[in-house]
Amino acid sequence: MNTTKPPYLGFGLGLRPQHYEEILSGSPAIDWFEVISENYMIPGGQPLRILDQIRERYPIVMHGVSLSIASTAPLDMDYLGALKTLAERVNPRWISDHLCWTGVHGVNLHDLLPVPYTQEALDHVVDRVSQVQDFLGRRLTLENVSSYVSFGQSEMTEWEFVTEVANRADCWLLFDVNNVYVSAFNHGFSTDEFLHGVPRDRVVQFHVAGHSHEESHIIDTHDHPVCDEVWDFYREAVTHFGPVSTMIERDDNIPPLAEVVAELDIARNIAREVQEGAQLTAAE
Amino acid sequence: MTSLKELQESFQAGILAGDDAILGEVNDSAREKRTVLFGVYRNAYVARLAEILGEDYEQTHAYLGDAGFAQLVKAYIDANPSDQRNVRWFGRHFPDFARETAPFANHREVTEIAALEKALADAFDGPDAAPLNIDAVAAIPAEDWPYLTFQPHPTAIRLAFDTNAAEIWSALKDETAPPAPVRLPEPQALLVWRQDLMARFRPLPAEEAMMWAEAARGVRFGVLCEMVATFAGEDEAELRAATYLRGWIDSGLLAGCRVETG
Repeated sequence: MNTTKPPYLGFGLGLRPQHYEEILSGSPAIDWFEVISENYMIPGGQPLRILDQIRERYPIVMHGVSLSIASTAPLDMDYLGALKTLAERVNPRWISDHLCWTGVHGVNLHDLLPVPYTQEALDHVVDRVSQVQDFLGRRLTLENVSSYVSFGQSEMTEWEFVTEVANRADCWLLFDVNNVYVSAFNHGFSTDEFLHGVPRDRVVQFHVAGHSHEESHIIDTHDHPVCDEVWDFYREAVTHFGPVSTMIERDDNIPPLAEVVAELDIARNIAREVQEGAQLTAAE
Repeated sequence: MTSLKELQESFQAGILAGDDAILGEVNDSAREKRTVLFGVYRNAYVARLAEILGEDYEQTHAYLGDAGFAQLVKAYIDANPSDQRNVRWFGRHFPDFARETAPFANHREVTEIAALEKALADAFDGPDAAPLNIDAVAAIPAEDWPYLTFQPHPTAIRLAFDTNAAEIWSALKDETAPPAPVRLPEPQALLVWRQDLMARFRPLPAEEAMMWAEAARGVRFGVLCEMVATFAGEDEAELRAATYLRGWIDSGLLAGCRVETG
């Protein structure tokens, strides 16, 4: 099993078909791309051909949405086989998915559904992560999701659960800055507690995204620019974790590439300011 | 305590069947009631799948209009909980569903427009195969030609339409007014395939459609020529068969050929 910590890649974007042409013709200043694994788990044709071309120019990370690691349904070995085949073609720097479930009894709800933070769920997830890592021959990277409900039966906080999964299953973490912000608002916990509650050395990637504020709750829609509050929390995250590969997610109302690249520059500037501030402090 | 398995079953039933038992397991937040919060998951399920169907069946949507398409989409989502990890294949039964579901079942062109969209999508990301090269075929000695068999490109899909759905689709794609739907006197064969990374289609004349179907079954070229002669006359039958074949090769419809003398 490859247990080497993934490298720091800088500032990346989600690869979206709307931007294929601009990326291939313009070689924009983007350090790396994250691809939705399922979009390329197809027999052939243009999407895979374009992915091959982009892979030659940029580092790629694979990000799945239907591993369903926390489901009580059996692991889908066909899915895992297809994921492994794609990884052999793409040679991603790491493979991530979500700490969630997507369905049971052969149904897929195509959503990132929340887990009760119980000992039973913890044991179950840890066992499943180990099986998947053994099959893929590499460590997985798991992302905290946005959630809208909490369970009465939960016995620990989300960050305690995430920490236990990471330490016991020996996997990496994708710290979704927006998801922590959304869930903190929805469930009334402190973003700082989450930030300081997860193991620093496990975090290999940040996600930053926009959301929809519904006053009484926030929905993780990825259809808006990143808001100021999330950028503020990103600054705290960079300060706490140090340089972590950062990527902006945009899945709906997808703007021209230049607009997302400009958002990425905000992340670059924040990270630079934090680093310069840290150097200044060290020099004093 | 409810087991994780039971909790997930209850959660799923809450989304799929509107079952409220799950509300006994989740909390109100400080700002909102649990019915509203769980409703986020209920709404997202239908909205996400409807969006996918709208992307997959863009011209069916344009043809039916927002209200008609929404009705068909809602019925499809209710009847077909997704059993696919990849949402790419959630809508694969949509054309058949339209054929069997009132009132769309009475409008044959609806299922056929959807079938054409599905075939184009399947050709677009279907399996890769190098197209048969004309030089490779030209190099085959003349005496071997009667024994040649042909392998269709793996993306090639043959459809047979009872209506002018292909014309309607083309008009909608061009954002022009579609012709009125009509039943055709004879079924219209269509070939859908991928060439140069683009999904495309074309109607097939009856004779060519017959020869394609037989060639795809592995019938040898010599026999194909005899079938063409039987179909529309012996006069220049071999030339007609060779012309169809040349067209298939030029448009990337074939992935291989081999001499079968056994």
